[in-house]
Amino acid sequence: MLTNTLATKHIKKTDRERLKTLIEILQLDCVHRIDDGPQETWPDLFVENCLYRITSRENWETGSELGVIRCESAGMLRDRITASQNAAVYAPRTIRHILSGTSIDTIVDDGIHCRTNVAIYQTNADGDTVLLMAAVYYDLITETQDGLRYKEKHLVYDTLRLPDSVIGPL
Amino acid sequence: MRHTKAASAGNSSRIAYRVYQDPAVYAAELENVFYGPTWNYVGLSAEIPNVGDWRRTMIGEREVLVVRKPKNQFSVLPNVCAHRGSQICQARNGNTDNAFMCPYHQWTYDYDGKLVGVPFRRGVKGRGGMPIDFKLRDYNLSALQVAEINGVIFASYHPDPPSIDTYLGEKMRHYFIRVFDGRPLRIIGYHRQMIDCNWKLQMENLKDPYHAGLLHLFLVTFGLFRLDQKSETVLNEKGGHAALLSRRTPPEEHTGNEEIASYTPDYTLEDPSLLQPVMEYDDDVTLAIQTVFPSIIIQAQSNTLATRHVIPKGVGKHELIWTFFGYEEDDAEMRTRRLRQANLMGPAGYVTLDDAEALEFSQNGVNGALSNDVATLLLDGDQVGSTDHLVTEAPIRGFYQQYRDLMPSEAFDAD
Repeated sequence: MLTNTLATKHIKKTDRERLKTLIEILQLDCVHRIDDGPQETWPDLFVENCLYRITSRENWETGSELGVIRCESAGMLRDRITASQNAAVYAPRTIRHILSGTSIDTIVDDGIHCRTNVAIYQTNADGDTVLLMAAVYYDLITETQDGLRYKEKHLVYDTLRLPDSVIGPL
Repeated sequence: MRHTKAASAGNSSRIAYRVYQDPAVYAAELENVFYGPTWNYVGLSAEIPNVGDWRRTMIGEREVLVVRKPKNQFSVLPNVCAHRGSQICQARNGNTDNAFMCPYHQWTYDYDGKLVGVPFRRGVKGRGGMPIDFKLRDYNLSALQVAEINGVIFASYHPDPPSIDTYLGEKMRHYFIRVFDGRPLRIIGYHRQMIDCNWKLQMENLKDPYHAGLLHLFLVTFGLFRLDQKSETVLNEKGGHAALLSRRTPPEEHTGNEEIASYTPDYTLEDPSLLQPVMEYDDDVTLAIQTVFPSIIIQAQSNTLATRHVIPKGVGKHELIWTFFGYEEDDAEMRTRRLRQANLMGPAGYVTLDDAEALEFSQNGVNGALSNDVATLLLDGDQVGSTDHLVTEAPIRGFYQQYRDLMPSEAFDAD
């Protein structure tokens, strides 16, 4: 039913609300996999041919395609996870995403463009918490046989001078 | 382990931890290094492509404006009004038709910092206003000395610094114009991060090939940088600038993995497209890291090119600004390649996130150290010179040699 409504782009208010709820469930699932794990399952929420990027508002607004992290396939997403487990040296920390509600911007043939504000906090081994970034997710979500999946995810942060390293996906 | 000053006389192989944590040393550095007879990086001309374009940046803790004037000329001005010290420009960058106006009392300056307007200078109806002998020319902004090499802009607070070519020296100029060869540059984007450690630790890190072959498992595993590679470290005569050069090798040629405690032999990438660089310069070097004293790093790792500007923020903190660039002539494939390989660098870089972390470990360590503790830099002896290998700390000793030349000795030497 969702696919049909997407294809016609004419959705009733009740369908739109249902869609919004489904997207919010996906968004929460996504950040829970990052914050609480298992992180290995996080790439499963993306289609194979995806684009994932973390970048500053400074870059975003000038049309720059640069990312602090820029992954052009689900394979690259999985590589980010294995690198943080096998090939990186960093102090232990906890990440916590605080999401606001999601709003649907547009529905196109490719999927649903939507936006979610997010504050990401980081807590170090001594228990001190800092705001890592005030940011927004600009997502393009598509429907697959397995449910809603990310085709594109852009995490655009306002906190230009990041207060710490970014160890893995956010 | 404690060393006495006698053991370190005349060389820079022992560095007092005090230089990373003493506010008096930091104050002396600002005055003697950043505001002294040095050339400080302030940006790339491609960042300000049109006449009247300007950007805010820092030299030490002083804020400056870098301005493009007509005829490919640049000026660097204090971003501080000559009236009462207000910051003139607040945005990160912008364009102005002909003048900079302080928002507080609307004093106005031209591209060269010349004061051209003071509202109500003659008062109102003959009352108030500036004294009759007030001359605009006495209140110009003190423009800095400016030098440019192939699109890289430097500035100096010193009224009579050495020429930029003399400052770099012939050998360093050679590596500098390897990347900045005169082709127009294209800005790809920026990363900015705060790192909780003294600015010198950041510079040391890029002069320290020893750590790169151990800490950075990503580089070691995929052969992007290894201590067993054909390589050189090249220093200028004073020692403060350095170029670290190495050549990528396939895994079957790797030796010495058993020396690396954290080596993980079966670690691979599912999508290795970011590890497919192409050669783009007239040599066989695949990694070139150049540091120019005091605080700029030029990175050419595979096809990811960037300047890294180190800005001190007090004794225990610095900002690192990465400006990624390519060339105007890059084709679509090269543009994609540079974007992909940028994953190696920046606050989440496969390589550099290790650095920012390790640097904070260093600062955490020295913060708790005894006042007369010293760091030991004895790898490859105590010589300060170029080498044909990477198992050396000579570039760090070189940095401190040039640093000692500028600093009052009582601010630096161990007790």
